[in-house]
Amino acid sequence: MKHNEYKQLLQLSLFGELKSEQQLKLKEHLLSCEECRSELEDQKNLLELISGKKKTDVDEKILSAARYQLRGALRSEKANKNIFGSAIANITQLFTTPLKFAVVSTAMLLFGILIGNLLFSKSSGDELATQNGNENRFASLSEEISISNLRFIDSDASDGEVEFTFQASRPVRLRGKVNDPQIQSVLTYAMLNEQNPGSRLNSINAMDTEAPMKYDQDVKNALVTVVMTDKNPGVRREALKLMSKYPYDESIKQALLYVITNDTVSGLRIEALNSIIAAGSRGYKLNNEELNLFRQQMQEDENPYIKLRSKTILQEYN
Amino acid sequence: MQLNDTDLIIQAQKGDQNAFEELVYRYDRNVLSIAMKYAANEDDAKDLYQEVFIRVYRGLKRFRFQSEFSTWLFRITTNVCLTYKSRNKEHLRVSINKSYEDDENEFTAKEELVYEGSSPEEITTGTDLGEIVNTAVESLSPKQKMTFILKHYEGYKIREIAEMMNCKEGTVKKYLFDAIKNLRKKLSPVYA
Repeated sequence: MKHNEYKQLLQLSLFGELKSEQQLKLKEHLLSCEECRSELEDQKNLLELISGKKKTDVDEKILSAARYQLRGALRSEKANKNIFGSAIANITQLFTTPLKFAVVSTAMLLFGILIGNLLFSKSSGDELATQNGNENRFASLSEEISISNLRFIDSDASDGEVEFTFQASRPVRLRGKVNDPQIQSVLTYAMLNEQNPGSRLNSINAMDTEAPMKYDQDVKNALVTVVMTDKNPGVRREALKLMSKYPYDESIKQALLYVITNDTVSGLRIEALNSIIAAGSRGYKLNNEELNLFRQQMQEDENPYIKLRSKTILQEYN
Repeated sequence: MQLNDTDLIIQAQKGDQNAFEELVYRYDRNVLSIAMKYAANEDDAKDLYQEVFIRVYRGLKRFRFQSEFSTWLFRITTNVCLTYKSRNKEHLRVSINKSYEDDENEFTAKEELVYEGSSPEEITTGTDLGEIVNTAVESLSPKQKMTFILKHYEGYKIREIAEMMNCKEGTVKKYLFDAIKNLRKKLSPVYA
């Protein structure tokens, strides 16, 4: 064995990676090689120095905080898997085999016929009654259709045919009761996906009604996601206000705790904190992991009111 | 009765959020431990942690049990760490000064200057020893750093590290030997 190879064995022995016969060979070599003995000593000192900084246990506070952030991110991930995204993914998958390509081509042809019908047929302002017969109306604002994202599949017209995809959209106007499932479905989609923060804000405000509320689970889940992930603080504030009107449950509690520990706007952290305190007075308790977050806030939050209130919460539990 | 990983994965693939969380909690300490040692700061470590499990969440439906879940998870962890760009610009400025070639033997002059003409006593009293060690480890190339962290701090076997980093055991040994060589150059004024 070459001398260099013994030096590599030295390092591997310090990491506990040598088989017993290799260990024996190295031991024999060390008996007669001063250079390698010195090298071994040097390496031991190096690893001892670095081991002094070896951190063995993960800090529980950091782990708790990481888990809370992850829950928020997973909720956002789940909410963003919307119908349109799934439809696009499914259509894309169809282009994977020749057989499926034939099916898709037929589908495109039928779609083309449908678009032609939309483009060229007279539309008489369809009215759509809701299932329970109230006066929601669907009406097309105009017969014009806007076309965008034209993509060619086959642009070679030498055989007399071309093939392409495009997006066609037509504006729609909808009027009805705010508790109606159709209305809520569109508003919920808008609060999660609209690019314009004003539109997201209006969608939330539209559902914040003086009339008796119907507590829809999907709307609540959407509000939880907005509270935790929307980039606009004004939108988050309105979502927080509306969410507080819903019956208090685990997901609302987690959202409030997330805001307290992560939101950069102190006003929102205070509002969430007050909601948690109000829930506490109604009998909703916090567990040890959640109390750890308040210990962290008591020490780290820049806002003195939040520090004080966190301390108060902890004192009530002690 | 506690479910094994396979059962949890199957349930999670069907959309059971609780099963997915249970799976996460079995391994997330290890993931966070690696992230804390690799990252420049706590925020970056939490970002790494989140990115790992978001990728696991997205990819779990396609997991075909061709390997252990832990092998797949830690492979994602090492990939995320190796490709992560810190939010902290200070850290990035330091990173730009480093060379990421695996056979590099030289460090930037900036990081060496503090030791020139200084005795070990001057170095250790003038600067926190921990800072010196951290700086030395931080200055390794990403793959050397990752290999060193997984071997020395986390205690994984070379065979396991090779699976995580999706490379041969010989390659892992090379990263490890180069890491030790570079750390010796950096730290010899301190421990000699």
